[in-house]
Amino acid sequence: MTTALTQGLERIPDQIGYLVISEDGVLASSGELENDEHTAGVIMQMVRTACRFRLHGAAEPPFKRMSVMFEDYIYAVTISGQKVFVVKRQNNQREPVNV
Amino acid sequence: MPVMNVCYLFIYFVRMKSPSIVGVLCTDAQGHNLGCRGTLSDEHGGVVSVLAKQAASLTKDPTDSPTVCLESDSGNVLVRTHGTITVAVHKIVS
Repeated sequence: MTTALTQGLERIPDQIGYLVISEDGVLASSGELENDEHTAGVIMQMVRTACRFRLHGAAEPPFKRMSVMFEDYIYAVTISGQKVFVVKRQNNQREPVNV
Repeated sequence: MPVMNVCYLFIYFVRMKSPSIVGVLCTDAQGHNLGCRGTLSDEHGGVVSVLAKQAASLTKDPTDSPTVCLESDSGNVLVRTHGTITVAVHKIVS
């Protein structure tokens, strides 16, 4: 089951680690996020917080993907099948976030 | 308050320069609304400030301030903290 969850994550370009998290805890981890319970906990808190964000009283969740962008790396977070997938990717862009 | 004047100036320039930006919100560290326009308002202040604070705890480096981006088919909400002020921008796909 773990392989089915993670083989897609392994092939994401520039990925340097990943986590698969359910309500019961971490199902899989790898690379820089291997056994990283702290990051898993914070990301789950952020997912719960972000799901409370509602625009125009919309019923559906406010995001398909949540990105947390630091200077050298990015956490890309998405939810699928009652599980939270987190991928840590190298951030090679040096220009500021274009708003 | 000088902080609020800066917020209003920022909101004005952001809205004028970028037509796809439909909402802007500035909050303090407690989530209190310092200024907002468009689709973002008081009700979003708490979530925005908490999200930024949680994101900051992902790193030990206090100078590496993260940008949180909530991405959907219709647009993005970007959140970032600068000093004591947290700024959120709602940008739609045009």
